Amino acid sequence: METFRYDNRVVRNFAWATLIWGLVGMSAGLLAAVQLFFPDANLDFQYITFGRLRPLHTNAVIFAFIGNGMFMGIYYSLPRLCKAPMFSRLLSQINFWGWNAIIVAAAVTLPLGFTTSKEYAELEWPIDIAITLVWVAFTINLFGTIIKRREKHLYVAIWFYIATALTVALLHIVNSMEVPAGWFKSYSLYAGVQDALVQWWYGHNAVAFFLTTPYLGLMYYFLPKAAGRPVFSYRLSIIHFWALIFIYIWAGPHHLLYTALPDWAQSLGMVFSVMLIAPSWGGMLNGLLTLRGAWDKVRQEPMLKFMVVAVTAYGMATLEGPTLAIKSVNSLSHYTDWTIAHVHTGALGWNGFLTFSMLYWLIPKLYRTSLYSVKLANYHFWIALTGMMFYVVPMYWGGITQGLMWKQFTPDGFLQYPNFLETVLQIIPLYRIRAIGGSLYLLGAFIGAFNLCRTAHAGSFEPESEAQAPARVKHSGVDGKGHRWLEARGLLLAGLALVAVAIGGLVEIIPTFLIKENVPTISSVKPYTPLELLGRDLYIREGCVGCHSQMIRPLRSETERYGEYSKAGEFVYDHPFLWGSKRTGPDLHRIGGKYPDAWHYNHMENPRSTSPGSIMPRYPWLLTQKLETNCLPARIKALRTVGVPYPENFELTAGKDLVKQAKGIVQNLESGMVKAQPDTEIIALIAYLQRLGTDIKLSKPVTASVDGVPSTVVVNP
Amino acid sequence: MKESPESDPLLLDHEYDGIRELDNRLPRWWVWLFYITILFAVIYLGYYHVFNLGELSAAEYARDNAAGQALKTASQAKFESTLESLQPSSDSAIVGRGNGVYLTYCAPCHRPDGGGLVGPNLCDDYWIHGPKFSDNLKVIINGVPDKGMLTWKGVLQPSEIYAVASYIYTLRGTKPPNPKPPENLAPAKPTEVYE
Repeated sequence: METFRYDNRVVRNFAWATLIWGLVGMSAGLLAAVQLFFPDANLDFQYITFGRLRPLHTNAVIFAFIGNGMFMGIYYSLPRLCKAPMFSRLLSQINFWGWNAIIVAAAVTLPLGFTTSKEYAELEWPIDIAITLVWVAFTINLFGTIIKRREKHLYVAIWFYIATALTVALLHIVNSMEVPAGWFKSYSLYAGVQDALVQWWYGHNAVAFFLTTPYLGLMYYFLPKAAGRPVFSYRLSIIHFWALIFIYIWAGPHHLLYTALPDWAQSLGMVFSVMLIAPSWGGMLNGLLTLRGAWDKVRQEPMLKFMVVAVTAYGMATLEGPTLAIKSVNSLSHYTDWTIAHVHTGALGWNGFLTFSMLYWLIPKLYRTSLYSVKLANYHFWIALTGMMFYVVPMYWGGITQGLMWKQFTPDGFLQYPNFLETVLQIIPLYRIRAIGGSLYLLGAFIGAFNLCRTAHAGSFEPESEAQAPARVKHSGVDGKGHRWLEARGLLLAGLALVAVAIGGLVEIIPTFLIKENVPTISSVKPYTPLELLGRDLYIREGCVGCHSQMIRPLRSETERYGEYSKAGEFVYDHPFLWGSKRTGPDLHRIGGKYPDAWHYNHMENPRSTSPGSIMPRYPWLLTQKLETNCLPARIKALRTVGVPYPENFELTAGKDLVKQAKGIVQNLESGMVKAQPDTEIIALIAYLQRLGTDIKLSKPVTASVDGVPSTVVVNP
Repeated sequence: MKESPESDPLLLDHEYDGIRELDNRLPRWWVWLFYITILFAVIYLGYYHVFNLGELSAAEYARDNAAGQALKTASQAKFESTLESLQPSSDSAIVGRGNGVYLTYCAPCHRPDGGGLVGPNLCDDYWIHGPKFSDNLKVIINGVPDKGMLTWKGVLQPSEIYAVASYIYTLRGTKPPNPKPPENLAPAKPTEVYE
């Protein structure tokens, strides 16, 4: 028998960080929700406009709240499942402090507008490097512990932890390939369609391998532990684990259905999403059926109540996901609040409830006491559940309503609701109800935090727990056969998991990069001018992509509204792509030339002056802030590095070029009775907006489509 | 439902930190669900990408768009054949609807009060393309591409074009502050402006 000690300090640290960041992230979400029916809620303070707040909210909830929750659960369960303390206390500390320093950096840089604009990967390159290093520390710690374990076989929870560690590293590194153009500015190595594919391979699988697999592992530990029941089926866990990690990785393109992504990749994304239903439900079944014979406990134990809702929400979200991935459903749901409802079923239900379930179980254990108040925990449960319903249901309603309005035609073949704003005004009452739902959920979290603080206060913290186990006898005749044999070989299992997750990505990404037919060239598409380039960077800084897509799908309801549908070849110089995923406002891909410059100026100063009832924030600072042009040479050079064909020494004349174009815009503004300074940011933004989507209609007759967007365009094959 | 898991014959002999596992067989319906989704995937990919039987998005769009465009063209042709005989409406419902259309689509260039911005003043007596109501309708329908006036026939329904033209007619003779100066043309005769 060997005696050893588990470190509880790092678990405690992660637990409190989880709680604090949870409250911060949810509050940011609530503020963002309020801004959608009360735009002045940003107080005209540029650092908390919706476009900057949204990534702050998503990053805080995903990486800070759920990320710390994941580490908390892993650092508690892994050593106990391995019968060995964590491999290195130093690495544990690097993991904790490094991760939380990254979150603080995110909380500072995102409001400042330092963003790559790629969803859930917004953080700029120095932070990306830090994430990589901290993740490597975590991975070494994980595998070190596995190698030094005393338990012969690896429990299913650990398989999921292994898949998480390896896949997140792979996703993060590939998606974050970018060329710096200054300390907090970089350009994605990939452009347009390829950038979109890599981003959504990442984005989808961040959901899979950051929000799903680690939490499934945690479910496999905490649920049977708290219920005191054996796991329903060992066989089911094997099948659903391998099926899940293999199939999940292929499904990324379902975020790009009906876009300029090649059809074959879209179809792969769709069918692999459908095939995900059963593997996902395998996890739900194994969770819920483990509770057979323990439902009386669920009634008494708040921790299990939270767990049951979490697992049920997981089952609903993983049936809904594949449904949304069916092309015909997606043509209605994409860009609407239906997606927002879907992700919140996952985030509030699955991750949120499971995190609180763990906290309610762990904090009393760590502090050697019992929960301060079961009654308060029950209040938390019911308030959070009610809040979730008040969040999700209005968003379904709003999403479907707006989606149907966008698609509605009159019998004469005209759009029934050609004015986008009309469809927004229709769902504003639902935005209000959603904010009530969010407030309830947040209230529940505060009650939970209070309860847990009182619990900790009443108990006494146990920094280390002692345990005993015999040393592991390496590879002997009792390893077992088949999968059991594999479970005794951690590194082999990890290697096979890596192969399973690599295949889907490789099959989808490599042909899209190598086969030219996948991105047909359009000869009239040219790189952005210096002024447009800086305007585009402002568009990125302000987070416009959070509410405006730049991807018109080949659907009549879209081409009638916005103009010719977007072609892959139009985005070859877009580092990064800015297709967006949500239309809180209209698509902007063919905004160029649609309105006079003066309209944009007035609209940015106060959107409600040109579009009464609009919920877009005001951007008065763009009218006064000077455009920073010293960065121009570095940016042009960085873009050249990633493949934009700016001529040699172009950066030397770029400044002159910029001034000339700015003067032209100032003159246009004058004819629209607006006096503007040529060196302000608004000028660059207008230059960019007026360029958008215009390249392919050069020298073609101009015919208006809805909102005046020219639509007769011939594209070079 | 078993009272004591310990007596369950499916209980496996290993345990991890107190967690035991049963070895229940996979629920049949779950297995069938998995098979059916795999079969669906094979059929779908085969149908669209191996045997090329189904329409991909571009072809689907082309067909759908042609059908919709035909409906639109028919209703526009009918409207355009009646232009010369149309008179501005004074029905408040129609003028009100025209006001709404005006604010959405016209005001960006002509200003909400019609005083002109990028586009000309719509309130004065200078009518660049003719002062008759049917002249106004034609300009809205076909646009003046050389001068930046867009072609609205694909966007606005015939009833909307009629409504907005009727509304614009009510702007005639109003005197908004700070109007855009007229282009270099003689004003139309009052008799032509106020029919």
